[in-house]
Amino acid sequence: MKDIITIVVRLTVSCLLAAVVMGVCFIFTSNAKKHNEHVKEQQVMYELLGYKGDAKVPESVAMHEIYRYVITTVESQSIGYLVAVHGEEFLLVEIDLDGKFLKNIPLTMSEADALEGDLRDKKVQEIVGPSATVKFADQTVVVTDDGKRIAYLISGKFQGFKTFVSVMLAVDPSFTLLGLEILEHEEDPGLGAEIEKDYFKNQFKGKPFAVLKNIDVVKAPIPADYLKALNGKVDEQEILKIRDMYKDKDIYALTGATISSRAVSNGVKGIVKKFAYRVTVLDKVLAEQRLTVPF
Amino acid sequence: MANDKSSLQLVTRGILSENPIFKLALSMCPAVGISTTVMNGLLLGIAVLFVQVFSSVTISIFKNLIHPRIRIPTYTLTIATWVTVIDLVLAAYMPEAYAKMGIFVKLIVAFAIITMRLEMFACKEPVKDSFWDGVGMGLGFMVGMMVIGFVRELLGSGAVFGYDILGFKPLLFFILPSAGFFVVGLMMAFFNWIEIFYKRKKGLQ
Repeated sequence: MKDIITIVVRLTVSCLLAAVVMGVCFIFTSNAKKHNEHVKEQQVMYELLGYKGDAKVPESVAMHEIYRYVITTVESQSIGYLVAVHGEEFLLVEIDLDGKFLKNIPLTMSEADALEGDLRDKKVQEIVGPSATVKFADQTVVVTDDGKRIAYLISGKFQGFKTFVSVMLAVDPSFTLLGLEILEHEEDPGLGAEIEKDYFKNQFKGKPFAVLKNIDVVKAPIPADYLKALNGKVDEQEILKIRDMYKDKDIYALTGATISSRAVSNGVKGIVKKFAYRVTVLDKVLAEQRLTVPF
Repeated sequence: MANDKSSLQLVTRGILSENPIFKLALSMCPAVGISTTVMNGLLLGIAVLFVQVFSSVTISIFKNLIHPRIRIPTYTLTIATWVTVIDLVLAAYMPEAYAKMGIFVKLIVAFAIITMRLEMFACKEPVKDSFWDGVGMGLGFMVGMMVIGFVRELLGSGAVFGYDILGFKPLLFFILPSAGFFVVGLMMAFFNWIEIFYKRKKGLQ
């Protein structure tokens, strides 16, 4: 009996000590880690837009974030889009589920604050008031070149074979897919993990919205010429030609990982479809209300 | 039990006469799985070195407080703590290396060599000796991983540290996991041969 008590006490104490060590380490490293993630995200964004490696991004290209919030009150639910109007002025545009405009609330905060998730959520909650609960849903980046929209960057998450797969997509203003990047996943190495390989990812490139809406996977080997083009083994012109040839085709599933392949194609389909609907609604409301936004 | 070896002897023992991979044949799983390049071997070796030294010192400091019945859970807890610390630090300050070997760093918790050194050495010996034993074993593991990585990278992809040296790929087989066993086996034979040779020479003198 005495033994058990000493064992319990000592194990508890050592667990607590271990927790303290890990906690201190976490506090010291979390900032650097966040910074890394941010840098990586930026890099992925530019790569999706076609600025690989040292390629310089032109001055005229700008990125504008749109944060989507779900606002729930006791009787109703609505969507709030937080958009930057100019400088430190933000606008929360509230739209109900049928796409009708409800109201807009101005909000001031610094751009650094807007990037900080928790701070931004708090600010939004403050202006909405205590009667409603606000939940952050997702964020989209509108890329403009000289004030004209050239692309949207959408980040999303969906269920893979094992856990969530988090991706970033680039689509052009007509919702043709420009690129797909897998940010995080825990699929099996050698099987599902192949989703991050070029020959799978690049299959999505250049698929028009009409095809994406009904995209599925086929269990067939990738034709040799297509595979070469997907891996970038042929020159630019050839890649575009082959991509055009295959643009109406479904996605070729990965060998031994049909579920992962299907998860990705369904996930991408869902994200793009929902986004297309949302952005149309938002654009309509912005035009109706004569709200000027930089994109 | 007093330890009659000097610090230097403890370190060299870990690298040569009791090399964790070639002589003790512990932690064979990572030795075979990860050592496809010299760089991988070096990175994992450094991580193991840190975890081994920190865990050895921690256990050695608290050795009188550890109840003998729960010593294995305590070792595991200690190792897991230090692995988490290394994991966090690597993720924060060396993101590129972490992306490549992050999954293996977490596996260090289950490396036999670390638990075995805690059980055999650190829980009986003073802090200073435990420290040097940890350094020796860690370095031994690192050297072993790098040697295997060197052979496999050179023969498998004709490169060393990622730089193309041979210009062609002699035997692709060496990149595959199964080849790891061959390399480890050959290295063991080589180490044994050296030892026998050395002993004979000494016997003659």
